[in-house]
Amino acid sequence: MAVHYLNIPLKNEDTEDLKLNDLVYISGPIFTCRSRLQRYIFDEGHTLPFSTKDRNCLIHVGPIVIKEQGKWELVSFMPTSSIRFEKWGAQSVADWNLKMIVGKTTMGEKTAAMMKEKKCVHVSPQCVSPNLWVDSIKIEDVYLFDELGSIEASWHMQLDKLGPFVVDIDCEGNNLYNRLDVIIGENKEKAYEMLSIPKDFQYTKLY
Amino acid sequence: MIKRELYQEVIFETIKKGATVISKDVKEAFERSIAIETASAAKEGLEKTLKSIELSVEKDNPACPDTGWPLFYFKVGNECELEGGFMALEEATREAVKKATKQGYLRATMKHPLTGYDPGDNVGMNIPAFTYKFVNGTNIEVTYVAKGGGSECFGGTRHRVIAFADGITGIEKFIIDCYIASTRAGAICPPSILGVGIGGTANVAANLAKEAACLRTIGSVHPEPMIHKIEDELYEALNNLGIGAMGTGGKVSVFAVNVEYAYTHIAGIAVATSSNCMVARRATSRIYNDNKVEALDSPNWFEGR
Repeated sequence: MAVHYLNIPLKNEDTEDLKLNDLVYISGPIFTCRSRLQRYIFDEGHTLPFSTKDRNCLIHVGPIVIKEQGKWELVSFMPTSSIRFEKWGAQSVADWNLKMIVGKTTMGEKTAAMMKEKKCVHVSPQCVSPNLWVDSIKIEDVYLFDELGSIEASWHMQLDKLGPFVVDIDCEGNNLYNRLDVIIGENKEKAYEMLSIPKDFQYTKLY
Repeated sequence: MIKRELYQEVIFETIKKGATVISKDVKEAFERSIAIETASAAKEGLEKTLKSIELSVEKDNPACPDTGWPLFYFKVGNECELEGGFMALEEATREAVKKATKQGYLRATMKHPLTGYDPGDNVGMNIPAFTYKFVNGTNIEVTYVAKGGGSECFGGTRHRVIAFADGITGIEKFIIDCYIASTRAGAICPPSILGVGIGGTANVAANLAKEAACLRTIGSVHPEPMIHKIEDELYEALNNLGIGAMGTGGKVSVFAVNVEYAYTHIAGIAVATSSNCMVARRATSRIYNDNKVEALDSPNWFEGR
């Protein structure tokens, strides 16, 4: 398990170096994105109002941001579940030339396949620690605030060694959690035994 | 008579505390888990989460930005007198939610389910949600629960109806299978407090599961030995799955298993689960008719069941 300090914009060489279970700390410009932004762009046909060329890391997050004396102030930040964006995952990686997605719950097969093609990785938090993170984040700007509301808008943030996040999809499309599934699957059989649930148990079909 | 101005302020303070101050029983569960966890990523995850929880008090910040659904549980004394009555209580609660959202203690998370419209204040159709329980006495207890989206949306809350013939075997298999599916890749932010509801109609079972997850303290046990035994056995079995903090693999997979039940029609037994995330957020206050206010560590929701 290696630890990497990465700077955005990320290059193929950066992501090719990352192995499953490695830890990363991220510095540089990122943008945030949730369901309504992706629906707005991919389903409703709007154009993303900024370039991702030098901002090729997307964070699935709905931060708490308030306005204090005319300035945006970040109150809280915790990456949210990526899997629910699977519908738009491959397209977002392709159209926005992403090299990294940060979020919980990993992503699905279609996104992983596109990530492999584009040398993109997915990383996820191993803790719920917003108060350790807020000081590593500066808000630069916000897009589509009026259209999408505070948490679904795209916030542009400047990160200073934000992390650690664990690499759960590498740029070959391998998924860390598929490996853990095997171990937990074996443990499930032991849990059944502990509870005297027969191996061949079948539910009575009620409907 | 409890003044409206007072209960509105107490409800606001309860929301604020619920969002920013993690209860003693939850913090102790973190400390115990850190001591026994051997997997390094999971141990570090628990340590960092606990550190963040401690900082949230210092910074007066939410313990997690997903403050989720605002749920209110009122345990009302039969002789409790509220200025304006219960409609005023609900209106005051909505006002307190708006204020807490505006001040950044709650995230503006509640939206129209079809259009995604964001009122920006967490108040809309049937939200916040209110549940009442009536007891003897001259006070009202309000518990605020911030029910996070991770633990609610990604399989932490489920139900099925099983045949009476399938009994406890079918119930326990359902719980094991659900828990594994819902913790994959840290979806419900494990180790969770797992609530289980057995019996009643499906909605009764689901409500019992939610209340067991969110309103019972960690370490509390069901007073009936048969149910207590199920809690213990499920706790042991789930903690042998190797799920670990945020699903990264580890010894501690669940903080607690709390089971509640209701009598039922035995044509089909409803069984429901509800998971609370590891950063379990709730706070309880009691207000007496003479306007005296107390903060409580436990919602005492199932006292007397």
